[in-house]
Amino acid sequence: MNIKFAVAGFVLWACSALATEVVTHPAVPMDQLTVTQLRAIYSMRQQNWPDGKAIRVFVLSAKNPIHQSFAKEKLQMFPYQLDRIWQKITYSGLGAAPVVLTSEQQMREMVANTEGAIGYIENSDELSTLKVIHVTQ
Amino acid sequence: MNYPRLKSFMLRSKLCLLLLLSCSWQLQADELQWHGFISQGLIQAPETNFVNLDDSISAELTDVGVNMSWGVSEKLRLAGQAVYLDGGRRYTKGTRLDYLFLDWTLYSDFDWRLNLFIGRFKNQHWLYSATRDVPFTRNAIVLPQSVYFDSFRDIAVGSDGLALKSTHDTSIGEIELNWSWGATNLSKEQGQILLSTQAQGNAEQDYVHQASVFWRPDQSAWQLGLSLLDSDFSYKKAELDLYSDGAMTVQRVMLNGRYAAEYWELSSEWVQERLDISDFYVPGFKRNSFSQGWYLQGRYNLMPRTWALLSVDIFDLDKDDRSGVKFSQSTGGMVPAYFGYQDDVTLGLTYDIKDNLRLTMEHHWVKGTARLAYPVMPDLQHNKSEYWQMWAMQLMYWF
Repeated sequence: MNIKFAVAGFVLWACSALATEVVTHPAVPMDQLTVTQLRAIYSMRQQNWPDGKAIRVFVLSAKNPIHQSFAKEKLQMFPYQLDRIWQKITYSGLGAAPVVLTSEQQMREMVANTEGAIGYIENSDELSTLKVIHVTQ
Repeated sequence: MNYPRLKSFMLRSKLCLLLLLSCSWQLQADELQWHGFISQGLIQAPETNFVNLDDSISAELTDVGVNMSWGVSEKLRLAGQAVYLDGGRRYTKGTRLDYLFLDWTLYSDFDWRLNLFIGRFKNQHWLYSATRDVPFTRNAIVLPQSVYFDSFRDIAVGSDGLALKSTHDTSIGEIELNWSWGATNLSKEQGQILLSTQAQGNAEQDYVHQASVFWRPDQSAWQLGLSLLDSDFSYKKAELDLYSDGAMTVQRVMLNGRYAAEYWELSSEWVQERLDISDFYVPGFKRNSFSQGWYLQGRYNLMPRTWALLSVDIFDLDKDDRSGVKFSQSTGGMVPAYFGYQDDVTLGLTYDIKDNLRLTMEHHWVKGTARLAYPVMPDLQHNKSEYWQMWAMQLMYWF
């Protein structure tokens, strides 16, 4: 029983310690976004950057701890709410869901190499090919 | 209210959309996305006409769909979905064009967005109306019948016409406004699900006009909404027909709310519906009644991948006669009072076998038969019990 609690405590600690950064392609003409704007992008309502270029939204799978941390910390939403929004727009014709990537490494590569891309990664110093977006209230 | 006839407009818009669709295959498809779903289940609702008439376990619980979304340009998008549905006697069985519309972004900036939809579009005004045929987007296999009455499904699911959607980020949160105007062509079979198999004439929806607002306050787990509906129907009797020529008006006021917590959520809708019938039963007949209903659904995340559902669904055919006694008396006692209400308690369990493979099971305990077919002609022969039960299980896969 004690071991179970210890494991559960470690998992909770590991999840809470996981900090995420919102990143974009270096040419995206913004340095910061409000939570509301970030939600509009990840709800697929906002589809263009201020310069008119299309926003390409990338995500990791719903079970990925980085995705869960991003949803709760940055969007202030729960992953199941995002799933519902994406399913509704996908299956009622209102738009396209984000592209789901399989790993953080793939996320770094896709965001760095796709014009207008936005994604998120675990906090890291190795950000030379990405632009970090400051998220404000 | 009087509106111009929609048929010629709808025919033209359908032809234009089909032309655009055929063109899309010849153009570069770098903005083409496609998705789909397939699900199969078992259902049993003995002592009722809900699914079948022989009380047996039925496999008539199939939902299959495939859709595509194609970005024609930055401002224009074409979206379409075809579905095959089999719900037994709940609604018409077969393949149908679920939606096919042109989505034109009229305005878009970081705080405000306005879109116009032309063609056949889904009903975006209620919590589950846009995806009621997509099983993994619903909390329950059988949605609360007070609001999502299956006999009305083919009419309520969408329309051919025009719609607008606006989303606006304001200082008090996100405001979403929806407006739509159109109609649904009713086949003879669809007409008979509404009016019983004794209806031999031609039922038509003249128009349906809807508007809704959703408010998602900032820093809040709430979503609140209000929607309005106004629709007219007409009936032209056949030479040999139980019914007469007639007209019906349906008007709805609806409120909805949803609260999302990390491991549980609540969703609820309340509806008041006015039904005005002129002639139809016999020339000169006139009835104006107000029904009311609401449901509250709670979901709890029992453990990873597993959600439990508790749902309460209440419906009264006449808000001034909740026991159904006056209704029964008005038929000379021929129709029992339990045809005047339908209350349902549901327990359900959902397990995600994989990220896109789900098994859902549920059991309903029901009192009353007001939401069983037919809405205008109680089926005394098959709906013989005031208390009845129903269970269903469904396996669903999507991509």
